[in-house]
Amino acid sequence: MSDTRRMLAEMADPLFAELGPQADKSDLARLEELGLPLLLVSEEDGGFGGNHVDALTVFRLAGYHALGLPLVEQIIARREVEGSDAHFRLGAFARTAQIAGALDAALAISVAYVNERQQFGRPLAKFQAVQQDLATFACEAAAANCAAMGAAEALDRGDAAFEVAAAKLRANSAASAGARIAHQVHGAIGFTQEYPLHYLTGRLRKWRSEFGGDAHWGRVLGDLVVARGADLFWPDLTARTG
Amino acid sequence: MQTFATEAVDWPDSAPALRQKVRALVAEHGERDPVRRANCWTKAAPGFSRMLGEAGLLGMTWPKEYGGHERSQLERYVVIEELLAAGAPVGAHWIADRQSGPLLLRLGNDELKARWVPGMVRGEIFACIGLSEPNSGSDLASVRTAARRDRDDWIINGQKVWTTGAHWSHFMIALIRSEAGSERQQGLSQFVIPLDAPGVTVKPIVDLTGAHEFNEVFFEDVRVPASALLGEEGQGWRQATAELSLERSGPERYLSSMVLFLELVRHAGEHSDPVTRDLVGRLASEAWTLRLMSASVAAKLARGEDPALEATIVKDLGNAYEQAIPELVQSAIEMDLTGDDVLASVTAYLLQVAPSFSLRGGTREILKGIIARGLGLR
Ligand SMILES: Cc1cc2nc3c(=O)[nH]c(=O)nc-3n(C[C@H](O)[C@H](O)[C@H](O)COP(=O)(O)OP(=O)(O)OC[C@H]3O[C@@H](n4cnc5c(N)ncnc54)[C@H](O)[C@@H]3O)c2cc1C
Repeated sequence: MSDTRRMLAEMADPLFAELGPQADKSDLARLEELGLPLLLVSEEDGGFGGNHVDALTVFRLAGYHALGLPLVEQIIARREVEGSDAHFRLGAFARTAQIAGALDAALAISVAYVNERQQFGRPLAKFQAVQQDLATFACEAAAANCAAMGAAEALDRGDAAFEVAAAKLRANSAASAGARIAHQVHGAIGFTQEYPLHYLTGRLRKWRSEFGGDAHWGRVLGDLVVARGADLFWPDLTARTG
Repeated sequence: MQTFATEAVDWPDSAPALRQKVRALVAEHGERDPVRRANCWTKAAPGFSRMLGEAGLLGMTWPKEYGGHERSQLERYVVIEELLAAGAPVGAHWIADRQSGPLLLRLGNDELKARWVPGMVRGEIFACIGLSEPNSGSDLASVRTAARRDRDDWIINGQKVWTTGAHWSHFMIALIRSEAGSERQQGLSQFVIPLDAPGVTVKPIVDLTGAHEFNEVFFEDVRVPASALLGEEGQGWRQATAELSLERSGPERYLSSMVLFLELVRHAGEHSDPVTRDLVGRLASEAWTLRLMSASVAAKLARGEDPALEATIVKDLGNAYEQAIPELVQSAIEMDLTGDDVLASVTAYLLQVAPSFSLRGGTREILKGIIARGLGLR
């Protein structure tokens, strides 16, 4: 991790945790004071000058803590013109990163919950069916996080049409699988207003459709791959990284 | 909580040149039959393996002293992902190059290394894995094949099963109970057993496709010298589990159906059908993600870390992916599975073999159990 990124994480993590899902609009001023909305604006233009991997750190933490402020939207809008393709693509990347963070958070509270909740005289965590479901969840969360990282690196390299499409599509399916398992292992308590799981799963549900749902990105990516043809798929894939 | 540390992979500068080299070799010497390009790392072609040896693409990371090429782990990764994506017939040497060689180099005495390693680098000596037994599948710690001391030698009796490639291999690295009366993980050792030793019998097991890839291997009073003991006596369990990291972490765990995905892309180019195109999109997304995850594990291994949990996650997701491809293709496209066009014949073959993808190298349930332990659930 670079120093900038560590600094960003150390600033955003406790702050977003404190603000949480129910943050007050007036708290936006605190984020503005820190210059966070200008994260992706270059230093020449008076911004923070962060790259997309830095943005991943912030977006992911906003997802992790289900931050109830439109910071992510502001960061995107300050960087790209609303309504442009670039704005839509950056938005899809941001949602991918937020999904990755929210999945990790939902996984963490699910693991904590099944270790604590007892039925049949033992913690739910000791039941193999529960273990296997949460293992599946961990795989999905891992995939979403890797996809978000891959998209961030691609955006920093330049044209990321393929990567953003691939990443959002992957994160979308992880979002649905993860939310489903998180609710299943929580039982009825997870279905209440009082218990905080819905802050995460509600966002996961919305983010899956925002900035392109499965049908949109499936079509975009399918068209890209088919237009290049079977013989170029692998060479293209490897040429994108090394 | 973050179960998978995501870091950028620092691909070697030599990667593009290595890729070109492998692509040219496969174009010239690779498998022509598209069905045999699927699941290609079980397809043995000793001539192809020798050719790779001559081209310096086997034992790439091993020391020069034993004929190796002292290239980096990521350079080797580049070569093997190219071979797999192209459907090259790499089965003969696959296990030797992936795990038996590294194991011998890490734990073997000079005699073992000098005897086996140079031939593996040339693509002339092949190896097999002796873990499973009739009563020890997922529950590997229950192995019963036994070795007892006889002065300076060991005498081995028992049986291994599902041994891929025993019939084309020259030796087996076997997990064996070397302490009579020991239980479970205790008292196990690994032995290097030449398959032409008196008392070794290899019997074919024909799989449901009609192919002969795995075998039963019987040991009847097989005498091996003390030097055949690999590593430390009694440390077999620890050594074998470290071996499993090598066995589980590679790109072969998600690429077995890549050939069919490419045929699907070809088909989509010829027929404009939204269902197929969307499927191409979804499968491309997963391929891209899995490649990043797999390479990230390779990069961690290259740095000397042991990303056991990450490797297990990649194998589980990868196996699910390569297993799903033939079924998704079957569901998206009307086809006659008995037909001889390429798409139908590759689909038909992969539908048959795909169940093995989540069994070999540790079953899906066992992998998920390992991930659950990593999550602190057991
Ligand atoms: C194509 C192929 C090649 C192979 N090559 C080799 C080889 O070269 N060398 C070698 O040593 N072995 C090899 N194997 C064997 C492979 O390692 C075993 O098949 C595998 O470990 C499972 O063992 P098993 O087949 O005895 O199934 P079992 O262990 O009997 O399992 C059957 C089912 O029960 C489930 N199960 C078992 N225990 C549990 C549990 N505790 N909790 C939940 N579910 C459980 C399993 O997940 C599986 O679904 C190969 C297998 C295949 C299919």
